[in-house]
Amino acid sequence: MGDSQYSFSLTTFSPSGKLVQIEHALQAVGSGQTSLGIKAANGVVVATEKKLPSILVDETSVQKIQLMTPNIGVVYSGMGPDSRVLVRKSRKQAQQYFRLYKEPIPITQLVRETAAVMQEFTQSGGVRPFGVSLLIAGYDDNGPQLYQVDPSGSYFSWKASAMGKNVSNAKTFLEKRYTEDMELEDAIHTAILTLKEGFEGQISGKNIEIGIIGADRKFRVLSSSEIDDYLAEVE
Amino acid sequence: MVKMTDLPTKGGFSFDLCTRNQMLLDKGVQMPPFRKTGTTIVGLVFQDGVVLGADTRATEGPIVADKNCEKIHFMAPNIYCCGAGTAADTEAVTDMVSSQLQLHRYATGRESRVVTALTLLKSHLFSYQGHVSAALVLGGVDVTGPHLHTVYPHGSTDTLPFATMGSGSLAAMSVFESKYREGLTREEGIELVAEAICAGIFNDLGSGSNVDVCVITKGQTEYLRNYQLPNPRTYISSKGYSFVKGQTEVLSTKITPIQSKVQTVEGGDAMEE
Repeated sequence: MGDSQYSFSLTTFSPSGKLVQIEHALQAVGSGQTSLGIKAANGVVVATEKKLPSILVDETSVQKIQLMTPNIGVVYSGMGPDSRVLVRKSRKQAQQYFRLYKEPIPITQLVRETAAVMQEFTQSGGVRPFGVSLLIAGYDDNGPQLYQVDPSGSYFSWKASAMGKNVSNAKTFLEKRYTEDMELEDAIHTAILTLKEGFEGQISGKNIEIGIIGADRKFRVLSSSEIDDYLAEVE
Repeated sequence: MVKMTDLPTKGGFSFDLCTRNQMLLDKGVQMPPFRKTGTTIVGLVFQDGVVLGADTRATEGPIVADKNCEKIHFMAPNIYCCGAGTAADTEAVTDMVSSQLQLHRYATGRESRVVTALTLLKSHLFSYQGHVSAALVLGGVDVTGPHLHTVYPHGSTDTLPFATMGSGSLAAMSVFESKYREGLTREEGIELVAEAICAGIFNDLGSGSNVDVCVITKGQTEYLRNYQLPNPRTYISSKGYSFVKGQTEVLSTKITPIQSKVQTVEGGDAMEE
């Protein structure tokens, strides 16, 4: 492929007009653990697989779904350490916004700033793109919102989206199951069923993680016992 | 003693005016008095937590700038801070530390501790060598229990069971020294704090208007804004005033008709397109 000569330098376009490093970054995302998000009429739910490298790992110490502000949460697919850096930067930006305007940062603004950081790393010397795609979920004055941000820095608002290993199956499943007037509870059940589709092994509260935000505007990660209850309902 | 002058900071102290000052003193000219920080802020520890109190008057020298300002600032859901000194300095420093505590909470996943807020405040104030004029009473309840601290503009701190700061601090302290004891109940604590603030309000010119109280216990914080209003304003009558014709005696009358100065000219040129 003529592109291969151009695939090592991030800041050089290939003849076909692509930045091949970003394509590779998307590959890294595509081989990460499946995660998805669904926007309901009265809230948003995000969920992800939490497959640990060994049974010896203490699963209570691992939390993939993080808070950026009290009303905005994020889940990723791809390289965990890269997502930590982004979450840290975004938290700081949210605080700076609040200090300047005395207003909790709107989700669109936070997404824009996070995407700007990711784009920065595709146009600077000596750095590589982030190997994560983020699903940012929140509830503000414009209602419940769900955004996906890619390593290139592009972002889209989704009604429902999936990323990672099982992305095509998950998206097909979501397309069939999604309805505009879905309630948060239905969305949680749909999210679990979607994860179950491509899940290898026995699904339980210990190997998936779910985060929800409702009209109370408080993002929270469900405990493993709460997830087990939902799993029982779905059976 | 640090003299407050409007010199541009060049790094280090400027001794340019020392000879002039000495000459003025020799001639009998007095040094101008320091501007006092008009406030009464207090805090005390009771059996279940801490109670903070503050007056609500903001002054610009001899003028009351704000009759009902908020001097009890939010630091964390379980930590509040009363501020005396330059209002802008207390606002800015508490906002900044509150923001840092929020980031710290996200990073650690834990409730903020009072000593964390204390250390962030004192490090900041010390690095500005007293030029950030903020004197604070910091109180809160965390996993290690209830805590109350005072922070001075130069960055020193005290840990106390009861504390007062500001120009009304002596008036308030007299109340605390005579009536404070360990193991107060919530009602007794609030009563005592309100009494101390009232002592400041009535006996210090720099403090006045209303009493704000904040009660922090394990798991719950109550911000009682305007807990007491001991200085109600008597407003002018809402019905307004009526002036009946004939109430005012007419001494003389002179009527001047306004003459028209506009002359109309017939058949003028039409305006150009």
